[in-house]
Amino acid sequence: MYKSFLSWRYLLARRTNWIGIVGIFLGVGAMILILSIMTGFLGETKNAVRGSLSDLVIRPDFRTRIDGSKVVSDPAKVLEVVRADPRVAGASAQLSWFGLFTVKGESEDKDLIFSDAEFSKQSGVRLVGIDVADEFQTSELKQALAREPLHGDTRVGDVEHPFAPPPGYDPPGRKLPSVIVGEQLARNWLLHRGSEIEIFTVPPGVSLEEIGRDTSAASNKAFVVAGTFRTQENEMDLGTIYFERNELSKFLGRKLDFTQVLVRCKDFDRDGTAVRDEVAQKLLAADLLRGTRSMRTGQLTEVNTWEDQKGTLLGAIENERVLMAIMLSLVVLVAAFTIFAILSMMVTEKRRDIGILCALGATPGGIQALFLFIAFWDALLGATAGAIAGTWLALKIDPIEQWLSKSIGVQIFNRDVYLFDHIPAIVDPRAVAIIVLGAFVCTLLFAFVPAWRAGRMHPLDALRHE
Amino acid sequence: MSSTPRPAPAPATATHVLSARAITKSFTIGDRTLDILHGVDLDLARGELVSLMGASGAGKSTFLHILGLLESPTAGEVFIEGHSAWKLPVQERASVRNQKLGFVFQFYHLLSELDAVENVLLPAMILHGRGAYLGKQKALRERARALLVKFGLEHRLEHRPSQLSGGERQRVALARALFLDPPIVIADEPTGNLDSATGEKVLELLLAEQRERNLTLLLVTHDERIARRCQRVVRMADGRVHSDGDERAKE
Repeated sequence: MYKSFLSWRYLLARRTNWIGIVGIFLGVGAMILILSIMTGFLGETKNAVRGSLSDLVIRPDFRTRIDGSKVVSDPAKVLEVVRADPRVAGASAQLSWFGLFTVKGESEDKDLIFSDAEFSKQSGVRLVGIDVADEFQTSELKQALAREPLHGDTRVGDVEHPFAPPPGYDPPGRKLPSVIVGEQLARNWLLHRGSEIEIFTVPPGVSLEEIGRDTSAASNKAFVVAGTFRTQENEMDLGTIYFERNELSKFLGRKLDFTQVLVRCKDFDRDGTAVRDEVAQKLLAADLLRGTRSMRTGQLTEVNTWEDQKGTLLGAIENERVLMAIMLSLVVLVAAFTIFAILSMMVTEKRRDIGILCALGATPGGIQALFLFIAFWDALLGATAGAIAGTWLALKIDPIEQWLSKSIGVQIFNRDVYLFDHIPAIVDPRAVAIIVLGAFVCTLLFAFVPAWRAGRMHPLDALRHE
Repeated sequence: MSSTPRPAPAPATATHVLSARAITKSFTIGDRTLDILHGVDLDLARGELVSLMGASGAGKSTFLHILGLLESPTAGEVFIEGHSAWKLPVQERASVRNQKLGFVFQFYHLLSELDAVENVLLPAMILHGRGAYLGKQKALRERARALLVKFGLEHRLEHRPSQLSGGERQRVALARALFLDPPIVIADEPTGNLDSATGEKVLELLLAEQRERNLTLLLVTHDERIARRCQRVVRMADGRVHSDGDERAKE
């Protein structure tokens, strides 16, 4: 009985113990808060990255093989092979190219398309040709189209038919084909529904040398903006323009039908990689892939899962999370070390008490337990308070951030940067349990040394200490 | 945890509550061996009041610590109620200290974090586990208070040692030593740190309790006046018992 009773008294009597408790509190609290936010970010980023990427991407390498043969370029055949797999929920062909765009009417320097970007009113963009119905099955374009724009009303008139001419668009003469632009691009260029833009590109198969001789080898064409889309990825919204695939192919001189096929699986987590490998083999057998392999890993490079593509980014976030956890556990370690120091001091200071307790019948094990109990109270108070505070902060991070931003007048979390409308935080009860347990184990391990010393102390040495 | 009854190893000790047989103790300091005790024997009967005297360095403190199971002898054995104490495992020896021996020290040795009542309760806290203690807590507290009141500390029950005078502290220490009703009390110069008037009062209290409880009291002292009040005086010199007997008859 005396162990818990006396340890509590010693804890209250020695103010320095609170340093250890506060240390553990801060370490545990910070660890829970920051890991929760990191977990939230990882989840949100995964969602955002995944949204625009579909599950699998088949990107045939159209270069001539060493033996002179060429890959068959036929999107219909690729789609047929892919859709034959029962685990596939949908597949769509995309044609992706690059170009420069300018707002029509400000194109006075179109002859300078390759001049310094600073002086030209052009912007490099990714041109993506899609088949709307197929695309809706494989990516989250439909959601991106339906999502409320952050600025102005630039949504397409009909999400189901996004390439329909914008309402009220009735120019004299031939109507321009429609495109959909990223919301941020529209905002930067003050585009609205019905704005006319002009796009310049170097079609496939045209070399820079040819353009040097004759700039008319480059293509340019005007389009009308039918509306905008908003994904949760900044890059996408800043530099992507969607076309109907047929329209883009025509613009590129019919030299290219598609560059990639997006595939959505019914259950990606279960059979994503299996589908990837099997589809790759079938496409190779049908001569629809070149069979290019990575020089580094020897893997086929033409069929990838979305995680293969963004592996580095996701790995980086996960890596940051682990690094952060390690660094924060150092805080707990320092706190535990503080307790080690305080307890060591206490054992020296309480030598006389140890001797008295021995004389009154305490065993060495009991004395040791007494000092371990002090560390136990430290850990209990610190870790419990830390867990409660950390969890509470993680759950209330949004209002807290808003309040802080308002009070100090600096926006702490810029929602435009991440395109999240809140700070994502996921409190994982298992992680909280591990952190609390870790703090306990750490503290008790560190406390064991002084406690052991106290237990081994000779009662007489302790009593003579007067 | 209680000391299991063992057959008495030496018949001579069976009738004595505390016996020491051929106790020797030597310390090694560097490469020198220092012999403190050279085969000391002592038998204390139940209810006996004995004073242990000797000049500084005679070895009486060391002997006392060996009798009190705080320090192990180099050779020899201590029997408490007939059981060989130094052959017991550590836990059982601690339990013997807890229940059979009461200590009173010259410097009181109270715990400064606890008030008077809690200091008195300490042996009971050590004896009982958490559950058992909490079950009896009320009764135990009552007993501790009653004992302190009996010792004239009714206004000092909730005071910390730092708020008590020397005599008051020693009375708390006395109550602590007696709380579990041990058959043996070892007092190491209990009045050595008190002025003579206060010391006298504390000694009166101790001797009264000794009679009332039929305690075996071993009193270490430098004071001949105190020794004269004991039935038996054991004098030590150079690590040996020099004389042992009732000195009151001589006067």
